[in-house]
Parts: sequence; structure tokens; C-alpha cells
Amino acid sequence: MGLLAPLFLLGLVGLVVPVLVHLTERQRRTVVDFPSLMFLRKIPFRSTQRRRIHHWTLLSIRALALLLLVAAFSRPFFENTEVAIGATLGPREVVVVLDRSYSMGYGDRWERAKTRARQVFEGLEPSDRASLVFMGRGAEALLRATSDRERLLAALDTASIGDDGTVYGPALKLAQTILEESELPNREAVIISDFQRSGWNGDEGVSFPFGTVIEPVLISDDSTPNATVASVTLQRDFFSGQERMTATARVVRREGDEPVDRTILLELDGQEVQTQTVTLDPTGSATVTFEPFTLSDVYTRGSIRLDSDALTQDNELHFVLSPGRAMRVLVLEGANPRENVSLYLETAHASEESSFQVEVRSSSTFSTEDLETTDVVVLNDIPFPQGNTEVRLRRFVEAGGGLLLVLGERSAWRTGLEEFLPGRFGPARDYSRGAARLGFLDYPHPVFELFAGPGTGDFTRARFFRSRDLQVSPEGQVLARFDDGSVALAERLVGEGSVMVWTSTMDAFWNDLAVQPVFLPFIHQLMYHLGKYRDQVPWFTAGQVLDIADPDGLVFVADRENELSPETDQVALTPGGGSIALPATVGPRFLELDEQGFYEVRPPGTNPDRVFSVAVNVDVAESELEAMDPTELAGAVASRQAGDEVGAGGETLTPEMQARNQERRQSLWRLLMVAALVLLLAETAISNWISRAATMRFEDGRSYVPSSP
Amino acid sequence: MAVRERSSVQGANTQFLDPVVLSRIGNLELLARTVVDGFLQGLHRSPHLGMSLDFAEHREYMGGDDIRLIDWRLFARTDRFYIKLFEAETAADFMVVLDISKSMSFGTHSVTKLDYARYLGSALAYFSQKQKDRVGLATFDHEVVEFIPPSTRHLQRILHTLSRAEPGRPGTLRDPLMRIGENLHHRGIILLLSDFYEEPQAVIDSVRHLRARGHDVIVFHLLDPAELEFTYDSAASFRDLESATMIPIVPDELAVEYRKLIGEHTQELDRLFTGSRIDYTVLDTSKPLDYALFRYLSSREKMSRVR
Repeated sequence: MGLLAPLFLLGLVGLVVPVLVHLTERQRRTVVDFPSLMFLRKIPFRSTQRRRIHHWTLLSIRALALLLLVAAFSRPFFENTEVAIGATLGPREVVVVLDRSYSMGYGDRWERAKTRARQVFEGLEPSDRASLVFMGRGAEALLRATSDRERLLAALDTASIGDDGTVYGPALKLAQTILEESELPNREAVIISDFQRSGWNGDEGVSFPFGTVIEPVLISDDSTPNATVASVTLQRDFFSGQERMTATARVVRREGDEPVDRTILLELDGQEVQTQTVTLDPTGSATVTFEPFTLSDVYTRGSIRLDSDALTQDNELHFVLSPGRAMRVLVLEGANPRENVSLYLETAHASEESSFQVEVRSSSTFSTEDLETTDVVVLNDIPFPQGNTEVRLRRFVEAGGGLLLVLGERSAWRTGLEEFLPGRFGPARDYSRGAARLGFLDYPHPVFELFAGPGTGDFTRARFFRSRDLQVSPEGQVLARFDDGSVALAERLVGEGSVMVWTSTMDAFWNDLAVQPVFLPFIHQLMYHLGKYRDQVPWFTAGQVLDIADPDGLVFVADRENELSPETDQVALTPGGGSIALPATVGPRFLELDEQGFYEVRPPGTNPDRVFSVAVNVDVAESELEAMDPTELAGAVASRQAGDEVGAGGETLTPEMQARNQERRQSLWRLLMVAALVLLLAETAISNWISRAATMRFEDGRSYVPSSP
Repeated sequence: MAVRERSSVQGANTQFLDPVVLSRIGNLELLARTVVDGFLQGLHRSPHLGMSLDFAEHREYMGGDDIRLIDWRLFARTDRFYIKLFEAETAADFMVVLDISKSMSFGTHSVTKLDYARYLGSALAYFSQKQKDRVGLATFDHEVVEFIPPSTRHLQRILHTLSRAEPGRPGTLRDPLMRIGENLHHRGIILLLSDFYEEPQAVIDSVRHLRARGHDVIVFHLLDPAELEFTYDSAASFRDLESATMIPIVPDELAVEYRKLIGEHTQELDRLFTGSRIDYTVLDTSKPLDYALFRYLSSREKMSRVR
């Protein structure tokens, strides 16, 4: 609230006047000169001591009237209209957007949010309509445009908090749709949330209908200490022929005064296997590494739990692991290969922790059966196979296998290869004026994506002295070029697989890339890409949808994917104990992962020993409880044009509404003036009544009233 | 000397005694003459009424007496020398003592109490002058303001002083009357005009010493009709003219009480003055002056008889 004429507030000094009048009791009526008051004073009076205020009511009325007059002349106005303008103009379409992300479970936030929503519903007029929209990662309209207040309240009572994070866009879009479809003259949106900034990116594209009153209700706490299991790294390695996993958890603590010790434990298949104590500094993080454990069974369920605090959902993180399968790489070299021609390739794949199995063989010993157990074939400086081998190789690639041609002095072009390779390669060329270097890398490509960031690998240090020319066909794609523009690496997709050509050797003969640090990750990325390798996904995030009919989405159960074949009916058991039927069908079978914990998918009526499981965790971004300014969001979703005035809730006002709004904001003085006049009239009546009560007072501080009529 | 009842003199000529009419006469001497002549004319009596020619007694001639005063007829019968003594054989001192305190300026019609007193004082002074009396004047409030000793030549001065007398200060009776009494060396008639806003006992104590000095005292208590009846009807602050003190008054509630008090006051004054052989008369300033004049003449007659 502000004042148009604040200097009138000086008139408040006049408040002392009524007090002084009441204390001094100076007679303000007509003065009549009389020869002597001798006889009047002789009339017996009832005497009371003064120096105190006799007529508090009169004084209060006078002071209040003066106060109101001063306030009226000061012309108070509201900065904005707190009360919705449209609230008095007709029925309303009210949409309550209630955030039920798991961060609303912090303390008593959820109860407070429901209380506010209940107040909104209870304040509805019979002609109003309301909708209840739940906001999480997605949006759900539980009740839509109904006047049934009892149903709204009942729906609110049965509402429960979710396990997903806050994403404002879908819920606000849904609210926008409801409001746009409404024919009622007034529209209101009440957004009840903790307004986490992580769920807002500012370009949601939400724009409420013109004139919508937006009321953001912030549910927050002054202090939000919280600890979160932010992430878990599962390191896979092999030891004595067994696969071992090492779990490392990162725990983040937000807010606090002093370091605290928290207990964190590791569970496998429901059994607590390890417990550790971690010391968390205020607003800091700590890493806890558990002892390695052997992974022998598929669908091994694991959980890492932190002891409880105000927000429990982010204190645990679940995962599901199955024993991994190494990628098999077959390197073929010539009959009389150059010395160490495959040494660097083999070495790059050979490590105890590597997920590759590399086999180097002579091309003469290569048989088509080898392709059945191979993911990637590398033709290392050898002529392209011919005949049946070529056919099988083509089928291998078309079926999804990967083929890498490493060109050297023995590689030879022949007709027919242009239909299979990314381009025609020609003779070798020397870089006589010094070495060539890699001048272009297609960083968006999966092979080089890893090296896109600064400090992630320097290919320019490698010197290339000789390479084979490659004329890329239209079907081919250049992934790397030397600084003279010639092609270094090209790819062609064939069927489900792909063929790549590297125009220089993979040893230290034509270049020194093999001795550069970037060589090993480069080779790994090549193999991952060609072999379509995907890491196992140990968990999903609440709110994601899993297509159990997509084998690519279930790579970590590839060996048993037949269990989830489309021809078999399935049922999914949720962490909360519910079941979701997944009948046999052609096409995708989606499973919505809404709850935190483990989902089980099995054929109905069966109880397999190791059931297909999916771990679902909450979005850790939701545990960041920092709130944004609600008015920022309200202003962003309000529909407006240049020059439009915005109401208290961020609504845009029409010119008529603007004028009315301005009038309302400044019209308080009239009310004050009327009240002051009413008070003054009352004061007149009361003072006359008091006068007729024959109160008589002397100036010496005593008041006299006739003792008897 | 016969004094008629007041009711018998309310004739056509009384308009010359109406204070309202008199207030239009600016010259006080003319006013006094109009009053006195009109008044006397209405009585159908000689203007020499009251002259001191009445025989009082005889006494034996003593050496040094004027032989012209010897009653030769009585000498013829008794062969002794007696001389005649006449009543009021010499002119009396007539002193107008006028209260000009602030309260005397009060009046709810065209004539204030002081005006009324002025008219009355000048008229009686003029009348006394015509009686060959020596007339004097004293005005006072809380002290003596003007003092004109009795003399046969002071009438003009008296009238002039009366005309310019202005009320302005609070007044008391005791000290001024004491001082006036000390300055009157011959016994005479003192006409005291005041509103007597003091306690009755204090008033009589102040006036009594004049009587004790042998003066004949005639007291006119001048009151405005509003002082007598308290005819106010709306609430107001009443301010004391002398002390300027104000009190809020609701007349409806107080009028009865006030009238009772003022009645008791005048009755008490009447009782005390009568007890001291002082003529006391309450005069309503809205009434004509004839009543006052009759009261004066009546008092003079009583005094002459006593003497």
C-alpha cells in the first residue's frame, strides 16, 4: 500500500487535539456574560475530580474521525489489487495445481499444501467450478471443472505424495487447457508448490488465458537441512574369473551448522551386507566406497540407504545388476603380417578390467562360424575377403555386427566393394612436407562424443606420415579428416550394422597415434559403437516409462529377453504392492515407473527364481530444495502484451479492468471519508446528549453536576 | 407631606420615567430635569414640597442668638424671649454613592444597571438641588474612583461625572464605603446604588458604619430582570463579569435554584438593612423610575419625621 499525498500524514499531529480538549475541558459553547456567578456557585453540585478523561467514547470517536480524515486526505492506494477483480463479477473457473513431488514430503509441507487447497475448495460459490491437477514429473487432472465441492474435498483427502520430481510444464499446460476451455467469465489458477527452481527452465511455453488470476502459494520452510544419496557408481571388474562389483555412493548434505555422522548401508537382495559411517560437513558431500561384492546372479537387487531425516525419499538408492558379457572383437591380419601390426589394437583391449575379449587371427584361419560369437571384426591391413567369406561378412554387418577396415599398404581395392564400404580408397599418399594431423573430428558422433569436452583427449598431437586416399560415397559419412582435407575416418551404415574405414594404420608404422594417450579410449569408443555396446542400466528414475517389448531398452537382460517376449502375458508388481497387467500384444508394452523401489515383471501365475526386476529411484534434483520466486513463475505464465498491467496474481488486465483496478486501488479514501463523516455525526449526537446530561465543569479542574433536578 | 401609593401615579406621564425612553436622552441634566419635573407634575404638588419651613419647637433666647428669631407673640403672652426653631432649618447634604464595578455594566435590554443608576442618581441629585440641598457624588468599585463633596454648586460636575462613569474593575463595598464615610464630615443623606454581589452580612457590615456616623442611608439594590428571573434557555458558558471565571450552565436545570437563592439574598438584605434602620429597595432596571422616586420621597419623609 502506498500514499499519494503522504505529507497529509502530518495531520496526525492533530490527534493530540481531542486529547487536550478532553483534558482541559475548555468550554467551546456560547459565552454569556453575567454579573456574578456567586449564586450559581452556591447551587449544590456533585463534584468529581478531573485530570482524567471522562468520555472515552467521545475521545475515541474524535480521534478516530481525525485519523480517518488524515488517512483519506493522504489518498492511500494499494500497490496492487489483492482481491481478484473478477471475484465479484460472476462465477469462476478455478484450477488448483497441487505439487505432489516427493520434495513436498519434507516436514509437514504436504499437509500444509492440502490445507490451502481445501481452503480454496471450501471458498467456492455454488456457481464456481474447480479442477484439481496434480503436478509431478507429469500432470494428472484428478477432477476437472466440477462444481461438486464434496468430490473435490474427497479427492484431496485421498491424495498422496508421489515419488517423482517437479516439472512445471505439463501441469501448467494442463491447467492452461482447462482454463481455455472454460466459458466462465472469471478464471483463477492456484498453484500450490514448494516452487523448486530445478523444475523450471523458463521456456515451458505456458500462457494462461487473458485475465486469469494466478495465485502462487509457496509452501516452504525457513531452514531445510537435508542429506541425499546423490549417486552411486557401480564399478565392474573381474577377479579370479568372477565378476565383482564395487559400489561407491556420493552423499550430499545441504544446510547445517556442524559436521554430523550418518550411517549408510548396502543391501543386496534384501540382506544388509555392509554398514559404514560417513561424516558430512555442513553443505558438503562425502564419498563412501563399499567393499567389492561378487555378482553371480541375474537381477541382483541392491540398495544403498542413509539413515532417516526430514526428507526420506532421497535417502535411498536402488539398483539391479546382472552379470555382464564381454564384447568380442576379432582382429584379422595378413598371412605375413608386419611386425606388431596388431599389437597396439590387442593391447588396447587387453586389460583385466576390460569388458572386451580380443582375438587376433590370421585372415587365412578365419571361418564364417567365427562371426557367430563376434561383435566386431577388424580387417587390419589385409585385402577384403572374397567369395563366401565376403557374403557372410556382409550378412554379419547387415545383422548388426560391426566391421572396421584399417587401411595399410596391403589393403587393396576391387570392384564391388563400393556397395559395402563408405567409399573407394586409392593408393597411399605421403605427407612429404611434414606430418599430417587430424584437423576435423565429428564430435557429435558417438565415437568422438567422449572427446568433445576440453581436456578429454588431444588428437592433434598424433602425426600421420602416410594414409590411403578415400573418396567417400554418398552413402558414406566422414567422421574425421586430416588437416589437408583428406579423409581419416568414414562410416557407412549397412543394415543394422555399420562399416568404418580408417585410412591409416593402427600401429606406429604410418603414424604415431598408437602411442598417444588418446589412442586407447579412441579404440574403445570405436568398438563400443561398432558393437552397439550399451552399459547396463542399473536403475530408472521415477516418472520414466519402460517399454518391455524393446530389447534395446532391456540390454541388461538380453540373455533372458525371451522371458519378456511379446507373445507372453506379463504382470508387473509395483513397489507399493500393486499389480499392472501387461497382456501379450504386438507393439510396445509400456510400464510406467511411478514409484520408488523395485518393479517385478513375470508371467501371471509364475514365481521364477530370479524374476525380472527394475529399480526405480527418485530424481535427486528434487532433493535440491531451493525455491524460486513464485511471482517469477506467475509472471512467466501470465498472458500479456506490451503495456499491459499485471494484477496481483500476475494476470493481465484489460483496459477496462485496468481502469477499474486503478479506481479500486485508489478509492479507499472515499470509504475513509464516509467513515469519518459518520463518526463525526455520531460524535455530534453523543456530545449533545452529554451536554444535555447537564455536565458542568470549572476550569480549575473539577467538574460539577447538579446533585438533584 | 403625603405620599401616594405607587399605583396611583402610573399615569400618562410615566413614559418620561421609562428607562428605555430616558436612554434616548443624551444630556444627563436634561434627563434629570425631565424626570423630576415630569414626576412632580404627575403628583400635582408644589415644587416646593418638602421645603424646610415647618416649625419644630421653641427654646429660650440665649445671648448671641439672632433677635430676628424671637417669637414676639409668645413674648407677649409669656413675657419671656423664646426663639423659633424650624425643621431642616438648613439644607441637607445629599450624597449619591454609586457602585461602578464591572458587574454594573450588565443589562439584558437597552439600559444597563449603571445606566439606570445614572438616571436615578442624576434625577435625585437634581431633585435635591431644587430642594436647596448640597449634593455630592462618590463612585467606587474596589476603591473610591471619584469623590465630589456635597455642595450647592456641584450639580453640573456631578452630572458630568455620572455621565462619564465607566465600569471596568471588580468591586467591593467595605473599603470604599469606609473611605467615603471618612470623607463626609456632616451628617446627611446617602443614596447607595449597587447590585450588592456580596454576602448579606458583609454588605450590612460595610453599610452599617455609614449609619453609625449619623447619615441617613437609602439603599437601592439594582438588578436586571435576567438577574432576577434567570430567563436563559440554552446551555452556555457563563462568565463572571468581574472575575472572568466561566462555568458551563444548563439554565433549565438551575433557574429554579437560582431564583430561590437570589430571593433569599434580597430578603436577607432587606432584613438586615431594616434592622439597621436603612431603607432598602430592590429595583428592577426594566421598570420606570417612579417607584424609585417614590421610595426616595417616602424615605425622606420618614427621616424628617424622625428628626
